[in-house]
Amino acid sequence: MISISDFDVQYENKWCPGCGNFGILAAMKDALAKQGIAPHDILIISGIGQAAKTPEFMKCNMFHGLHGRALPLATGAKLANHRLKILVNTGDGDCYGEGGNHFMHAIRRNIDLTVLAHNNMVYGLTKGQASPTSERGMVTRIQNHGVIQESFNPLLVALALKAGFVARGFSGNIEHLSMLIQEGMKHRGFSLIDIFQPCVSFNSINTHKWYSDRVYEVTQDNHDPTDYDAALKKAREWGDLIPIGIIYKEEKPSFTDQIYGLAEGPLVERKFNPMPLREILHKM
Amino acid sequence: MGIDVTVKIGGEAGQGIQTVGQLLALTCQKAGLYVFAINDFESRIRGGHSFFQIRISDKQVRAPHHQVNMLVCLDRKTLEIHRDEMTTDGLIMLATKDAVDAAQGVLSIPLFDLASKAGSAITANTVAAGASLALLGAPLDLFSDIITRQFAEKSAELRRQNLAAAQLGYETVRGITFNSAFSWTGREPKGKLIEGSLSVALGALAADVRFAAFYPMSPATSIMGHLVNYADKFPLVVEQAEDEIAAANMVVGASFAGVRSMTATSGGGFCLMTEALGLAGMSETPIVIVNAQRPGPATGLPTRTAQADLHFVIRAAQDEFPRFVFAPGSPEDAYNTAARALHLAEKYQVPALILVDQYLLDSLYIIEEEFLVSDTIERFIEEAGDDISYKRYSCTQTGVSPRRIPCLGTSLVLANGNEHNEEGHSIESITERTNMVIKRNAKVPYMKAEMRPPQIAYGDAQILLVGWGSTAGAVYEAAGILRNVGMDCGVVHFADIWPFPGDAALSALGNAKQFFIVENNSTGQFAQLLRQETGLVPTAPILKFDGRPFYPIEIVKRIKEMAR
Repeated sequence: MISISDFDVQYENKWCPGCGNFGILAAMKDALAKQGIAPHDILIISGIGQAAKTPEFMKCNMFHGLHGRALPLATGAKLANHRLKILVNTGDGDCYGEGGNHFMHAIRRNIDLTVLAHNNMVYGLTKGQASPTSERGMVTRIQNHGVIQESFNPLLVALALKAGFVARGFSGNIEHLSMLIQEGMKHRGFSLIDIFQPCVSFNSINTHKWYSDRVYEVTQDNHDPTDYDAALKKAREWGDLIPIGIIYKEEKPSFTDQIYGLAEGPLVERKFNPMPLREILHKM
Repeated sequence: MGIDVTVKIGGEAGQGIQTVGQLLALTCQKAGLYVFAINDFESRIRGGHSFFQIRISDKQVRAPHHQVNMLVCLDRKTLEIHRDEMTTDGLIMLATKDAVDAAQGVLSIPLFDLASKAGSAITANTVAAGASLALLGAPLDLFSDIITRQFAEKSAELRRQNLAAAQLGYETVRGITFNSAFSWTGREPKGKLIEGSLSVALGALAADVRFAAFYPMSPATSIMGHLVNYADKFPLVVEQAEDEIAAANMVVGASFAGVRSMTATSGGGFCLMTEALGLAGMSETPIVIVNAQRPGPATGLPTRTAQADLHFVIRAAQDEFPRFVFAPGSPEDAYNTAARALHLAEKYQVPALILVDQYLLDSLYIIEEEFLVSDTIERFIEEAGDDISYKRYSCTQTGVSPRRIPCLGTSLVLANGNEHNEEGHSIESITERTNMVIKRNAKVPYMKAEMRPPQIAYGDAQILLVGWGSTAGAVYEAAGILRNVGMDCGVVHFADIWPFPGDAALSALGNAKQFFIVENNSTGQFAQLLRQETGLVPTAPILKFDGRPFYPIEIVKRIKEMAR
């Protein structure tokens, strides 16, 4: 039996009081405990940002890497040992800005990772600049006349790339978010869970109340997550009502399922054999 | 007088010059001759000018010769560009539309008409090769056997066309004498024909590389191509990443998860990898990066050669952390270095960089030394224990912490690119930061002890030629030429560059009367490094930075001008 408290760690949490990240952390612990995954059986890989600090604040195997680079770091780990259960904690700047190229190509690979993109629509660690998901018009100390770019829609981009699991969660609904994480981890292939999260220090627009007033679960709408066109429609919904839940789900072979060289088992488990190279050298 | 004949085949990209060059080299190897060949080409797929230059000898040769005995021109441009390189009794073979004609050292052959007669104009290269071999005195069946073997997996039609083309070329020049012809009989094949890039890939396989990620970039891609060719026989995955940033991070991730991992790129790609290089340094994750140098900066000359990234790789990425830098001087050393780099990176949990270049990678060599494959691989990884007190970055006297692999036991493995404590958690404290820097740097003396001293020949000579990396062949040959004309000349060649083997450098060069440093860059980077580390200053540098490799004669001329 694994319990939530098994993931508690003797290390000071460094988020602001009231940060949406606390809800995400709680949902992660809950999702892992419910699946019976012990701290030593999970690998959490993160980039840089407030979101990327998450694995520091719970018991797990961890690689706290570089800004924007969590996905290739995780891809390498998964290729070395495709039995690893890997969660990726990343933020809207980390994943959709600095790591935008990696985001696209990790989806194309359909590498079996579950990506938790903490999306607070602002840069927290660097103190309040606009992020790729900041809404047009948002005024910051840097974007002092308001954001003039289009806001990045991660769900729509993921769908355009035919990601096999596309979901949105909300840090204010821990039970629902835990369900999404569990479903994402069960999904064999790339899973994106974009997570709404308030930034209490730097985003006075998209607050806990702002999200709470708008989000609704797609199941209320009888949304069929296997319907691609319906998913595209859901992903574009924005305004007074914003859907959360599993937007799209499609079963297909994951990246490591299709790699010829992995059929005999994870690279890390294979024994060294000097014979093939000796044969190659002999025949030259 | 021994055999030393240089044949140059020039034409446009797309005329199959490299392919036919490979066939020629294999034919020579089969006849028991030594060859050394360079591939010179432009950054284009069709047109322009490229050439294959092969030096054929009955002794080992490891540098190109500056004079051409036979120039095979598949186009007019080749004649215009290379006419001045001919020896006085050299022969120019020229593709014409007219009948065969030999006059004043120019042999006109309707190469393309003959190729068409063989079945396809594309085999003009094979016609030329057949004619060249005939002129050099080679038996046709030697060449035909090689064609049959090399085209074994191609269509029967293609094989037939090339065999016919070779025969037509061969018969067309029958009766024409060539001063550089020699006897092709009575020798046993020596060793293997290998391109430099293959030796790097094989060396990596010998050290159990299991993951490689890369983004295509000349001249490094060929290393990855070789790994892909063999991947199905090994527990090996080669991934083409979306960019070099991803490639390098994937390599760090795979290594962290427990397998030996590497990437190969050129300077521009290495620029993008420097961030992950720092991550490997900070997180103490062993990785190997091959930087196949080409002239720069920016895009520079994509298909040409240089040794101008030395300072860059030694200092790449912000702040300070230990790393290895190697610069092999031969294909044999490239094999051993690739294997050693993977081994030492893992032993010290640091990044290891291998500096090669277009010249070393794209050239063809005959190697006689056996490439050794050990029975076992020494891993520097602790059994995944069950003690929860495990600390990934525990401070030790050598600076190397016991390494474990995540998810293979119940102990937790925490890696971090942020400054961290022994456990692996991010920290800000003065003491922990200071201790971690000291811990990482504590490896350096042990790493230094792993460095091989420079290779020395005639170390007491009045004049020492100093080289590093791929210039070895040209430097040794230049010293040989100078000794033959009575100059007391020796060689000191460095292949292990960083941590700099300062004591060995001092003992090799500290008492030298005169020494000259030969480098493919414009500012004498190795000379600067040597001075920084030992205080030694060369008599003069011998520099070349036109994107082309050294000819031994260029070094000889400079020494004759400068040596006292």
